[in-house]
Amino acid sequence: MNLTQPVLSARDLRRAYLVAGAPVEAVRGLSLDVHPGEWVAVVGPSGCGKSTLLNLLGAIDRPTSGQLLIRGRDVAVMDDAEATRFRLTGIGFVFQRFYLMPTLSAAENVELPMAEAKRPRAEREARAKELLTYVGLGARTDHRPFQLSGGEQQRVAVARALANRPALLLADEPTGELDARTGEEMIALFDRLNRDGTTIVTVTHDEELAQAARRVIHMRDGVIVDDQVRRPLESVARPA
Amino acid sequence: MRAWIRRWCALTGAVILTAPVLHVQGQGLRTIAIDERLGMAAGLAVGDSVRFAAMASAPSGQWVRIGAITRRSADPSEIARSEYRVRLHLDQLQSLTGVGDRIGRFAVRTQENAGAPGSASGTVAGPDSVSAAINAMAFGFRAYPAAEVAIETSATFRVVNRFHRAIGIITIVASAIFLLCITLLKVDERRREVGALRLLGLSRATVVRSVMLEASLIALLGSALGAGFGAAASAIVNWYYQGVYATPLRFALVTPEIVAIAVTLSLLLGIVSGYLAAQRLVRTAPLELVGR
Ligand SMILES: Nc1ncnc2c1ncn2[C@@H]1O[C@H](COP(=O)(O)OP(=O)(O)OP(=O)(O)O)[C@@H](O)[C@H]1O
Ligand SMILES: [Mg+2]
Repeated sequence: MNLTQPVLSARDLRRAYLVAGAPVEAVRGLSLDVHPGEWVAVVGPSGCGKSTLLNLLGAIDRPTSGQLLIRGRDVAVMDDAEATRFRLTGIGFVFQRFYLMPTLSAAENVELPMAEAKRPRAEREARAKELLTYVGLGARTDHRPFQLSGGEQQRVAVARALANRPALLLADEPTGELDARTGEEMIALFDRLNRDGTTIVTVTHDEELAQAARRVIHMRDGVIVDDQVRRPLESVARPA
Repeated sequence: MRAWIRRWCALTGAVILTAPVLHVQGQGLRTIAIDERLGMAAGLAVGDSVRFAAMASAPSGQWVRIGAITRRSADPSEIARSEYRVRLHLDQLQSLTGVGDRIGRFAVRTQENAGAPGSASGTVAGPDSVSAAINAMAFGFRAYPAAEVAIETSATFRVVNRFHRAIGIITIVASAIFLLCITLLKVDERRREVGALRLLGLSRATVVRSVMLEASLIALLGSALGAGFGAAASAIVNWYYQGVYATPLRFALVTPEIVAIAVTLSLLLGIVSGYLAAQRLVRTAPLELVGR
């Protein structure tokens, strides 16, 4: 189908939690490939293992068994320091609850991952400004999170996720804390990001967000039950 | 204008005097020196004339003029004494008491650096050798070097000092434990923030370093505030008690050494507690920190 190398390749991925001494499998033998430029929405009932999967894909959590390659690197065998470094430079995260540092300005929040990656100050500042302008907050760079609305905070979080030019943008319920209108703005932003070439995997309950994605994966009880490509990568053109 | 007071006065020679005080014109009178405390209590100033007698019951006395007011030295053993001091010329003292040839105590001041090589006389005459010479002179004499007297009179203060040191150590230990707990709690309030930072890819070392840096800065700021507060408090204490006891003695001291110790201790405490608190957090999985 797709001739490019996948950004992400999971084979027979499993993750079991010990609940009251007994293992409970949240992800049960899941296989998945994601190619550059794709936008995948993972949907399914609550508790089916969506967040667990996303945490595995983002090297936040480690699989109990199975193989997970991201950009050709085996995430499953990384130790904590390697996984941390990999998250910093290889993956961008957007969380439901934003997780911005309350004492830092919008620009400083965006600069944070770049500072950790030891990027020079001038480059950090320029990129933060550029990214905040991209998400529509060019005039709010000095504002602190409490001075921003939920939607604006989430856009800062998106800018932060892109700071180190990750190969993959992961988002767990990015519209979960937003009202319908700001949710739509967020979907439009993801759409624009994806059109500009960002590979995205979102986990969501939000029907509209799922509709906007190119590919929708349905999960149930820790496995994929349906995988549909709605808009193939070729059909990028769309009325503005 | 007459003002009478009756006070027990003590002279260096342990002569007990009563001083019925009278302000009169007193030119050509002999002079005495009184201490500041007596001056304040009796409202006496330099130039005032007073009548002076050895006993309170004495019918008459000698008129003298106050020629000087002396200030007590900064000696802690002085401040607790409620007695007043009067200094007069030796011959007048003898005639006033009527016991001209009896002396209870006297002080000998040795020359500074006496006995040091190259001193004028070339003789060895330090305080120790002088007191030894006096003791050898006659039976019943007992001479002490001033340093020995000082050690003896300051014995109480050394006990008090040790007591203060013990209180200080207990305070430091207790507040260290308290501060450690506060830091742990305060840092624990940052669970989610730290968890989020770790999820974003900030290393354990970065988190620990920034927590320690913040704790150290707070410690520095706190110790600066504390030193300022201590200096202000001791200024007030000194001002008040120097007034009460009419002494130049400084009751509370904030020396550069004390400030240095305080800053070092709190900095150390900040670094250690910051480190422990941060370690506790970074050992926890980031997902657990942010909560599900
Ligand atoms: N840390 C954990 N310890 C024990 N069980 C867990 C843990 N995390 C998840 N689970 C369990 O794993 C299963 C999948 O959880 P997960 O959070 O991945 O679901 P989800 O699809 O994201 O649900 P939701 O849509 O409600 O966010 C659930 O049964 C959950 O209770
Ligand atoms: Mg979830």
